[in-house]
Amino acid sequence: MEFFIQQLTIGLAVGGIYALIALGYTMVYGVLKLINFAHGDIFTLGAYLGFTTLISFGLNGRVGTGPAIAICLILVMGLSALAGHIMERAAYRPLRKSGRLSAVVSALGVSIFLQNAIMLIWGAKSLAYPADLLPQVLISIGGHSVPLIRVLVFISSIVVMVGLNIFINRTRTGMAIRASAIDQGAAKLMGIDVRHVVAIVFMIGPALGGLAGVMVGISYGQISFSMGQLYGLKAFTAAIIGGIGNIPGAMIGGILLGVVEAFGAAYVSAAWKDAITFFVLILILVVRPTGILPERVAEKL
Amino acid sequence: MKKLAVFGFLMGLILAPSAFAADNDVKIGVMAPVTGQWASEGQDMVNIVKLLAEEVNQAGGAGGHKIIIEVGDDGGNPKTAALAAQRLVTSGVVAVIGTYGSAVTEATQDIYDEDGVLQIATGSTSIRLTEKGLPLFFRTCPRDDDQGRVMAKHVQTMGFKNVALVHDNSSYAKGLAEEFKDLMNQAGIKVVYYDAITPGDRDYTTALTKIKTLTPEVIVFTGYYPEAAMLLRQKREMAWDVPIIGGDATNNLALVDIAGKEAAAGYYFISPPGPSDLTDDLSRAFMVEYQSRYKNLPSSVWSVMAGDAFKVLVEAIKNVKEPTAENIATYLHDGELKDFVGFTGPISFDRKGDRVGDVYRLYEVDKNGKFVLAP
Repeated sequence: MEFFIQQLTIGLAVGGIYALIALGYTMVYGVLKLINFAHGDIFTLGAYLGFTTLISFGLNGRVGTGPAIAICLILVMGLSALAGHIMERAAYRPLRKSGRLSAVVSALGVSIFLQNAIMLIWGAKSLAYPADLLPQVLISIGGHSVPLIRVLVFISSIVVMVGLNIFINRTRTGMAIRASAIDQGAAKLMGIDVRHVVAIVFMIGPALGGLAGVMVGISYGQISFSMGQLYGLKAFTAAIIGGIGNIPGAMIGGILLGVVEAFGAAYVSAAWKDAITFFVLILILVVRPTGILPERVAEKL
Repeated sequence: MKKLAVFGFLMGLILAPSAFAADNDVKIGVMAPVTGQWASEGQDMVNIVKLLAEEVNQAGGAGGHKIIIEVGDDGGNPKTAALAAQRLVTSGVVAVIGTYGSAVTEATQDIYDEDGVLQIATGSTSIRLTEKGLPLFFRTCPRDDDQGRVMAKHVQTMGFKNVALVHDNSSYAKGLAEEFKDLMNQAGIKVVYYDAITPGDRDYTTALTKIKTLTPEVIVFTGYYPEAAMLLRQKREMAWDVPIIGGDATNNLALVDIAGKEAAAGYYFISPPGPSDLTDDLSRAFMVEYQSRYKNLPSSVWSVMAGDAFKVLVEAIKNVKEPTAENIATYLHDGELKDFVGFTGPISFDRKGDRVGDVYRLYEVDKNGKFVLAP
């Protein structure tokens, strides 16, 4: 039982990060029907920006760890949003009228560009967040001791996701996003500035991706310029499992994927972890081709 | 006319060394990646050999023969290496030192063999190279299977009764893990866990949590330093104090940065000694001289292996009647050269041309994050 609980907490923490990244894929797909392959690299960018603000600028030493991390998270989310916005203006908006394939190829181009730019700016060697940034302590939950970092990662990803859900369902901008996802033409006729909506979606997604990048940096330490590939692929899988285009679906998909991975590695074999993950993907696609939450896709975005 | 003059000048340059070399001189080639991705390795190799050659010539040469060094740049690339090898062969070298990278070395083996040139590789650890039965091929670096043996030996002497074995599915790490596993079975030590982790992943706590339930006395990891560092860090986060032993691919100071000093402390790994760890008088004196000449120490042990190759050649030339490739090879093969004192320890060769004896040493990470030789 102890073993099961431990693996479950690992799966939830990893899944929370997958879910945060998956939201970026799913929101863009919901509005534009575009798979933004550069999203994984925005995640990497976030991790590096976090490293620069937190460690290189010495924010950590100046204001204490707690406030430093808070300022860093806000800064990185803002900068990632800016990067997302520039990416949309430069690589996707000019192609809005051409076919979907052109936009996908453009996304692949942005991905290659970002990855190499990060390598040239920060170097090809992997960087490391200091290991003692957060206290490495175990906390007790119902008699089971779990590392504090694991709990923090899961809780903060849940908080962000709940916040996003409220934003989408309770605000006017959220309503505009939902409307644009259902039917862009009709939304325009109703006076919604769809271009503005697309711009917002391309800022929220990258902000969440950048946040996930910093969380990975803080909790695992090591960041490298190519880390976005694996995380991007997993998060994309999570978005599809949940039903791409569906925001709660991405959250459920991400967390499910994390837990499946943890149990696959624990009870079957660590070497087969990824094979198990993708087997689950295939299984879900065979049984439910539209993902776990396919119904009311349009209404839910 | 101008072209002809330039051509003549170039021809002169090419022919000059051979034209003016006295009959008594011995020409030794150094094939090294002076340019390309491994340029720092290659330049160190050339620097070491040139410095050693100067010393030998000042002391009157090897057995009365003056040593002339001829450098061939292989660019760290098999195709360029084949051209460099052709050029070295036509320039009349008796023996060639080099090179770094098994694939690059392999591209030149046949060229040297056909033309009767002796080759001593320096940073080419692939097992295959010496299994071809080439009579004139040697190497001063260890083989990949040596490492598994040394690792197993240390696990035994440390008295562990069961181990968890983790690799990363790369051909190097998996090969090493399989080698090690066989040796564990022979030694009667139980391998309670044998599995791979995905390189590039960030979270290995799943595997670690599972390994913990099997209560091994030690974890052996055969992969590279980024994953080793993550294992160390996450093991500490779990507040678990089992020792980890790694292979030579974890000999990188970035390991300590990623894992943190506390988590890295007490980590063991097997590796050939680095240039700064060569503490015998002979090596230390040479490294001081090297540093005063070239400002830095050689960046890795593989270039020091080139220095050893040169020393072995000089020793052989001193002791054979006529310095031909065949005579040198016979001298090296037939046990006449035994426990010759090199920078990286005693050097002898077996029938295949492989180096005999343990080059690998056990390192430990101390409290300050420094790599120190374990007692």
